[in-house]
Formats: sequence, structure tokens, C-alpha cells
Amino acid sequence: MEVQKEAQRIMTLSVWKMYHSRMQRGGLRLHRSLQLSLIMRSAREVYLSAKVEAHEEPGVPSQPACSLDPRLHPPREAQTRVEAALSDSEQLCPEPMDTQEAPRAEESPARCAPRPAKISRKRRSSSLANSGDAGLVPSKKARLEEEGAEEGESSEISNRLQPPPAQAEGAFPNLARVLQRRFSGLLNCSPAVPPTVPPPPACEAKPVCRRADSMLNVLVRAVVAF
Amino acid sequence: MEEDIDTRKINNSFLRDHSYATEADIISTVEFNHTGELLATGDKGGRVVIFQREQESKNQVHRRGEYNVYSTFQSHEPEFDYLKSLEIEEKINKIRWLPQQNAAYFLLSTNDKTVKLWKVSERDKRPEGYNLKDEEGRLRDPATITTLRVPVLRPMDLMVEATPRRVFANAHTYHINSISVNSDYETYMSADDLRINLWNFEITNQSFNIVDIKPANMEELTEVITAAEFHPHHCNTFVYSSSKGTIRLCDMRASALCDRHTKFFEEPEDPSNRSFFSEIISSISDVKFSHSGRYIMTRDYLTVKVWDLNMESRPIETYQVHDYLRSKLCSLYENDCIFDKFECVWNGSDSVIMTGSYNNFFRMFDRNTKRDVTLEASRENSKPRAILKPRKVCVGGKRRKDEISVDSLDFSKKILHTAWHPSENIIAVAATNNLYIFQDKVN
Repeated sequence: MEVQKEAQRIMTLSVWKMYHSRMQRGGLRLHRSLQLSLIMRSAREVYLSAKVEAHEEPGVPSQPACSLDPRLHPPREAQTRVEAALSDSEQLCPEPMDTQEAPRAEESPARCAPRPAKISRKRRSSSLANSGDAGLVPSKKARLEEEGAEEGESSEISNRLQPPPAQAEGAFPNLARVLQRRFSGLLNCSPAVPPTVPPPPACEAKPVCRRADSMLNVLVRAVVAF
Repeated sequence: MEEDIDTRKINNSFLRDHSYATEADIISTVEFNHTGELLATGDKGGRVVIFQREQESKNQVHRRGEYNVYSTFQSHEPEFDYLKSLEIEEKINKIRWLPQQNAAYFLLSTNDKTVKLWKVSERDKRPEGYNLKDEEGRLRDPATITTLRVPVLRPMDLMVEATPRRVFANAHTYHINSISVNSDYETYMSADDLRINLWNFEITNQSFNIVDIKPANMEELTEVITAAEFHPHHCNTFVYSSSKGTIRLCDMRASALCDRHTKFFEEPEDPSNRSFFSEIISSISDVKFSHSGRYIMTRDYLTVKVWDLNMESRPIETYQVHDYLRSKLCSLYENDCIFDKFECVWNGSDSVIMTGSYNNFFRMFDRNTKRDVTLEASRENSKPRAILKPRKVCVGGKRRKDEISVDSLDFSKKILHTAWHPSENIIAVAATNNLYIFQDKVN
């Protein structure tokens, strides 16, 4: 559970940083944005795999004493263990969004990591939905917003043929719009979320984090797409 | 290595109080010229300050060539990109000197988007006695001119003027992180996150793109260029580092677009060190050729590595700069310190390397003796001609008297930029808005 909370905290922190970086002078920094998205992706993977494991073995408590801060081996081990289990069972797809985006070519390698051939994504979706994690499984609505971001990016391809640098940051405004729209909601309903000093993860984060999940999902997808 | 200190602090008077420092005064780059006579600094406010070393005088043996302000000018101004609605920072990202070919000095300075070539020249004479103008420059009434004289050059107070000779603009979509002058002294390159362009000094409206790692689909972006440098002797060779911790060496003779590298330097990841943040701390923040051209040095967040150009599989030397931070990466991510880009430098003989750290500490590693030292650049510890005391960070257990514990380190005081004189043991260390110059002890 601690792993999950820590991963969630880092995800939230990363989103906040991405939003904040857009405000600074000089505009979005590509390198910084890339690093933030890498962290967010890792945090998301850890979060999801910890969630899956907790869900899979309801009787067994999740990894004990796995704070991400001092020792970061356990989450990785958990993840690899989950991945091994997945490839065996083929029951769960760790990336339910993969199937929705299967026709899209632009999936990055990290996101496709273990992708079993047979997918019962419905089971996955419903199981996660039942556990209250509906936000992490994209709804159609979220997909539409993502479209907006990705359309901006597909315009990148045509623009590459033209030397003028104008459209190179075309992806960013769309991404930023998604972030802005969603994140302002996040900010409104959970004022404790953007951390100055990270709040103690246990108590006040609980109700907040649940809401953050649904927003975070869109944000994370948008950022990873970036 | 014992060091004699001859400190030079560049402040405005209101900066005497440490807690209040104008952001515009934060030094963002430091560079000695090829002889070491001049030292240039750039700051966040777009200004360049050049220091010149005094001629050593026989009378004052102990004052061995202090550096004094030689010229100050505003290199870049804040701009606004109307097309993208983005402000372009005036912060000077890099300064590179050109070798001196006449009485004037030339340097390149760059912000995020524009590179400028500056000429710094002295004027110590002025012509007097014009026929058609009077002393104030006003035209004289021709009817009043009855005699003819030849203007003469009379001495005047030394004036150092800086003029922009070339402006190389509009060639970079992303933020410029490096510039490097080629050994042919006719061309130079500028590198941003995804592209490297080759320029001729004489031509400002055209540049050649020699590296382009932008993917067709930006969603597939996995790495960016973080630094680039030309080989010191071979004008066809350059290297660039990436955010994934790899270095590529390219030969411009191979093809016009050097997307395919000639050599690829990458160290296999140590699985025991793998962590949540290992991807981002492996990003290389600086790459420097040795003066000999045989080695390259790279700086990532926790280490400095020396690579032999002939061996791509792993570095020949790895130095831990502040490994005690490895367990603090999560906190460093929270306060953004994990994104700090430290630079590294070689000494003139390539035997010692230096890089900065936090708490105004900087580290030197002697490659031959394998000894290292941690020194601090701070006002309290720097009295003129005092010797810098080595510092030590206590990593756990009992803290000794002079040691400082990891938790007491001040992460807001970081030394990102340092420079080493090309031939002597003089170093310049930029600590936020202060510049420290240290020299070897004079016996």
C-alpha cells in the first residue's frame, strides 16, 4: 500500500511540475518535460502493478515496508514479478489502454512492455473499476480529450517536412490545454495535492487521491503521449 | 592540493546580505579564453562580464596576477516569440572564446535561441584636430576654415568596447544548450535538444543541420541532446551526449547529416543501482574533450566519467561526486535539484578534473594519484590568501567535528559552473551570484 501511495504521490508531483513548468519563462523545456514524463510513467507502472498485485492476492498484504524513498528495489521486483505472472496467466493486461490504442502506431516501447496476445480487457476494466480505480482505465470521454492532444502531435509529422520551426511545439499547447482543464479541476477539488512540502501520505490523501485518480489518468496519458 | 585564495566577488552592494540575491545576477556560465588572460562570465540577466588578469609586476610578487573587470556589456535581451507566445529568456547559456588573431578579442555568447559573436576591443587613442568638425563633432561653417591641418592621434583613457559583429538567429526550434568552436576557427556548432547546426562565422543567414534526432512522431521521443563539443584538433569530429547517458562521436566526412554515429559510448547499467530515478540521473549534463583529444569526460547527476575514445564499451574511470545523495533522490526530485545540470572541466595537463556539487562544494579528482578533494567556495571560508580547507561530508554514523552531515547540506547553494585556466592552476568557481577565483599557493 505504501508503494502505491508513494507512486501516486510522485505521479501527482510530476503532474504538478509539468503544469508549473509551462508557466516559467522561456516556455516548456523539452528535456525537463521528457524527464518528468519518464518519472510519471515509472510511477504509473509501479502504481498499477502494485494495484494489480494487491488485487490479485487480496488475502496477502502488499509488499511490506516499501517506501519508495530509501529503498527502491522492492517496487521493481514487484513489477517484474507481476510481469512474470502476467505472461503466464495472460489474464490481465497491465496496460488496458494498449488495446484501445492498438491501431495507433505511436505506442512507445515502455508502454507496450508485457502485452499478452489474448487480452480479456473487459475483465481487467471491470475488475479495476470495481476496486474503485475507474479513473485509471480510460473512459471514452477521456479518449476524446486525448484525441485533441494527439492530433496536435500528428501534425508534427507533416511539419517535419517543412524547415520552418513554427509547429515544433504544436504538441505542447494541446497538452497544456488538457493539463490546464483537468488540472484546474484537480486543484479545485483537492487543494492539498500540489505539494510544497509533501503532506504525510496516509490520512488526508485518501479521499483526495481517489478523485485524483480519474484526472490523473487523463493527465498521465496525455503526458506519456507527449 | 593546497590553494591560495585570491577571491574576486562580483556583487552589487545590496547583495551583501546573502538571503537577497537578484536572480539576474546568477552566473550561468564561466569560461577562460585560450591564453587564460581573460575570464568571461554570463548571467541570467543576459550580461557578460569579462575579467582581465593584471600583468604581474616585479614589485608585488605576492599579487600574482589578479583578475579585474575588463568589460561589461549586455549581450542578450529578453525577447518575445509572437508566433508561439513564448518569452525567450536572456540568460546566457554558454560563452566560448575564439582564439586571438589580432588585437581584438572575439567570443560567442548564446541564449536559448540566438548566438552572437562579440568583438571586444580597446581604444586608447583618439583623433583630434579635424578640419570639418570641431572637438564636439559639430560641423564647422566652411567659411570659417582658413587653415588646413592633419588630425593627430592623442592618447585617451583606455576604453574597452564590445560590439556585436554577427547575430546567428532563427535556426533553433528548441533551446540551445551548447556551442563549440571548431579547430578550423572558421566554423562552429550550436546544439539544441534535438538538432545540431553548423555555422560559418561569416554567414549569419544560413546554417547546416548536421544532427537531427527528432522522431517523425514526437510521441516516440525518448532522448534529447544535452551537450555537444568539437574535437580540439580534428575539425571533422565532434561528440554529443544524450539524456540517456550515451555519447555519440560523429565524423562529418562520413555524410552531410551525421545522424549515424561513428562511435557510440554507453556503459551498461549496473542492475544493483537501478532505482526509480536511475533513468533521469543517468542523463549527461556536460561533455568535454580532454586537451589532448584522446579522452572525453562526462558528468551525470552523481558521477564524472572519463572515456577513452578508443573504447566504447565503458568509461575508463568513474568518480563519485556525491554518492551520498543516491538515497535522497526522491527528496531531490521534490525540490527539483535532481534536474540540476552540473558542468565539469579538465585542467591544462588533463591530470585533474573538477566539478561542482551542493553546499557550494566543488570536487577535484587527480587522475594519476586517484586522490580527490572537496573544497568550499564561501565568503566565510575565503579570506584573501587563506588556504582552502578540505571539506568532508559525513554519510552516517558519528559525525566528526569538521564534517558536515548530508542533511545539513544547503541544496540551494550549488556550483554548476567552473572553469580552469588553460595552463596554470587557477580556477574560477561560480556560486550562484558570486564568482570565486582560486590560485595555487605561491611559495
